[in-house]
Amino acid sequence: MLKKLFEISCKRATFLASKKEAGKTSFFENFKLKLHYKICDGCRLFDKQTSHICKNAKHTHNHTDVAMTSEKKQKIKDMINTVRIIFL
Amino acid sequence: MGLENKLEPDNWVDNYSDELYRYTVTRVTDSGFAEDIVQETFLSAWRAKVTYKGEASEKNWLYAICKNKIIDHFRKHSKNIVKPSRAEEDIYFDKVEHWRDETTPNEWGINYGQPIETKEFYSILELCKKKLNNIQQSVFVMKYMEGIEAENICKVLEITPSNYWVIIHRCKLHLRSCLEINWINI
Repeated sequence: MLKKLFEISCKRATFLASKKEAGKTSFFENFKLKLHYKICDGCRLFDKQTSHICKNAKHTHNHTDVAMTSEKKQKIKDMINTVRIIFL
Repeated sequence: MGLENKLEPDNWVDNYSDELYRYTVTRVTDSGFAEDIVQETFLSAWRAKVTYKGEASEKNWLYAICKNKIIDHFRKHSKNIVKPSRAEEDIYFDKVEHWRDETTPNEWGINYGQPIETKEFYSILELCKKKLNNIQQSVFVMKYMEGIEAENICKVLEITPSNYWVIIHRCKLHLRSCLEINWINI
């Protein structure tokens, strides 16, 4: 009985992890999550690894060399010039 | 005083197009859309330049315009989104909702406190992100790359909070697993 009350599945635990991250879990949900992490390495790793991925994702543009083609850049310059003429 | 910010529209394309493009393409994925967004950023900025008060630097001002265009892009492309289907998590969990043997997260043996500096991680993350469906990509980018709150994401994409949490859950399941296979090589 008691076990049923406090136990959550891995699917539920990984779902709650994101809600917890956003501060959207209840006190009781936090408690159940904490308890689950004590017995489940998989979910604990899931939380650690996904937090790590999500924290770093926003830096992606600093780690890529892609660039716009010079033709496209020229096209944008030409368009700005057109706008300039219309506005003057 | 004397440090007043000024706009130099003649140099915009040469000075900022590459970095704005990199910023945009890593968020909207498609190079054609990214080029259009950068172009629209410069054109909007040109039209709005009389409103520039010099409070932000030229660069930050252009970034702010660009970020708005990126959100507009997601708003436009959320019109024909598929609502979350039911079974997607079942790849990872068994009948009693516990990890399947082959999908249980493995220890990566890395320092989770350290920022990731390897190019490889970011290029594989990009590939993994491309495998997500459109709505998952939009939600992931808005939440974790643009730092927008859940409530606002729901408003922009016209999804319910419960859909939002399902989508976030799936993004994380897919990305983590894809990175473990392709980056960590387990």
